[in-house]
Amino acid sequence: MNLFSVIRKIYKFLSSVKLAMVLLITILACCVAGVTIWRGAEAGRLIFGTLWFNGILSLLVVNVAFCFFPRMWGRRLTLVSFGMILFHLSFVAILGGIVFNSLFYFRGTIRISEGETLSSGDPESYDFIDHGHYFSFSKLKGETTFVRMHPHYKVDGEDKRAAYEIEVGEGFGKKHKVIYITNSLDYNGFRYLNDREGYSILVILYDKLGKELYGVYAPLQSLKRQNGSYLYTTGTRFTPESYPFPQPPAKPIFNLQVTYLPSKLNERDGEAFFQIFPLNEGDKREEVKVIAEGKAAVGDEFDAGEYRISVREVSYWVAMNVRYEPGKPIVLTSLWIGFGGIVITFIGRIRRVKK
Amino acid sequence: MKMEIMLFWTAVGLYGISTFSYIFGLISKNEKLFSIGLYTAFIGLVPHTIVIALRWSATGISPFISISESITLGIFMTVLIFLIFQFSTKKVQPLGVLVMPIAFVLLGWAGTLMKEVATSLVPALQSAWIWVHIIGASTGFASVLIAAGLGLMLLIKERKSGGIYDKLPEPQVLDNLSYRYVAAGFIMYGLMIVSGAFWANQVKGSYWNWDPVEVWSLISWLIYGIYLHLRITFGWRGRRLAWYALIAVVVMIVSYWGIPFGVETFHQGFRIEH
Repeated sequence: MNLFSVIRKIYKFLSSVKLAMVLLITILACCVAGVTIWRGAEAGRLIFGTLWFNGILSLLVVNVAFCFFPRMWGRRLTLVSFGMILFHLSFVAILGGIVFNSLFYFRGTIRISEGETLSSGDPESYDFIDHGHYFSFSKLKGETTFVRMHPHYKVDGEDKRAAYEIEVGEGFGKKHKVIYITNSLDYNGFRYLNDREGYSILVILYDKLGKELYGVYAPLQSLKRQNGSYLYTTGTRFTPESYPFPQPPAKPIFNLQVTYLPSKLNERDGEAFFQIFPLNEGDKREEVKVIAEGKAAVGDEFDAGEYRISVREVSYWVAMNVRYEPGKPIVLTSLWIGFGGIVITFIGRIRRVKK
Repeated sequence: MKMEIMLFWTAVGLYGISTFSYIFGLISKNEKLFSIGLYTAFIGLVPHTIVIALRWSATGISPFISISESITLGIFMTVLIFLIFQFSTKKVQPLGVLVMPIAFVLLGWAGTLMKEVATSLVPALQSAWIWVHIIGASTGFASVLIAAGLGLMLLIKERKSGGIYDKLPEPQVLDNLSYRYVAAGFIMYGLMIVSGAFWANQVKGSYWNWDPVEVWSLISWLIYGIYLHLRITFGWRGRRLAWYALIAVVVMIVSYWGIPFGVETFHQGFRIEH
């Protein structure tokens, strides 16, 4: 078998309409399996995120190109054929956009407190980072500042619930914007999107005489309870927990758990519920006795015997998704081109039948 | 009883009368029953429209968000397009034999799931894309359901003759009509997917997440894409495609309102969390 016949066989295989049908049915079967037998993250791990599934999708696009365009070559251009060229071309462009994107993309989650400024280009500023092989951190210029949280932010009378006032960039080119779920900030090709938010409280420790000894911002978790309400407390994403207080490198005196009870009347007001546990590293909180517990309004002090504690102020922390996806405009534009192609083909076929 | 509930069940009741008129019309080969079915469906659309208008005017929020509202709109579009088709062509009188029973059952189901109108719209849904998305989804469903109905007419025409059956258009005409509705449905589902991708990009920063609702939409689109390929590339016609359209519409109903709303999805997240 010479090289020419091998190439001819490969071409014949790739330009087969039967292959297109087999691939379409295979993708359909995979999709059905991915929403019935396996679901969610498992479907992503076993099907949609795998190399073989993405290989099938890519093979379909290659097949479409080999199958369709040589057949159209030299044919008279009609409304139907023009529509079909657009539709099939969009498939190829979508794949091109996805491949291009996969090489240069950046996705990160930046967690930042009110008033805080972080370096945008420092990987340490991000909780999570994922990027393409050819992405360069030098593209992430300047700083990111979370100026202020705007709860129940209203635009034309519509409640956007949580809006983050942020500033991104460097020097005079800094961009300042209030972002909410349907309104992101674009800077230098990077998009800053709302993700999640929570309370952050400033906890102050005093001695018996009221002298200030220590203060720290403690981010609180929002834990959904069975009745649908939220508990705002120190701990992990899954459970309330105490933490050594003061925090290292200062010398801890006890373990502290604080739960914030927001006021229904005034924003950033309310009460704090303090629970103090002995400082026993390695012990489970449930197994140790509470030394002291009690409530105090925000700004007021709670008397814990040898010490006093207060929540001086309530602020917010937010997590924002930062995305750079240079291939996305190609994909999104191609979607409309493909859609336009179907519509043109349909109109062309109706006109042909009428003639 | 609230006016809205009363009107809703009046619409369901009228669609029920329409359903049985069509079914008994087919069994007894009585054309008059088809006319009763058609006009009862038309009268039923009036309270159906008023219910949507009442819910909309109650809070000013578009009433197409919850599952029952989504079904209500899908059926509204179906009956509306069905009536436009019937009154404009008057070609396929028994078409309601498939369309109206599905409209009746689904609207009845929506009635059992109906809740109070939402007092506020979650921020993720405060997007212009939702309109394009909803129109694409509901019109697409209406189109493919009518296509399946035309497929059923084709199967009936091929097997039976005499009386009302002779008044049905030729199988080739029915086949062409069914194909056109499938093509229209394919376009509208395309619009639904494209607008959904733009909407997701606006809200989440990514246009496709392999979320169950997205995958089910893709399944629907692929099913009709395969239909079109079988017809255009492989030359399928007539009975085989009529069966295909009938089976496909079952998958459509499941993919539209069955499974996706029962599992944790991006769409559910829109409704509950944000």
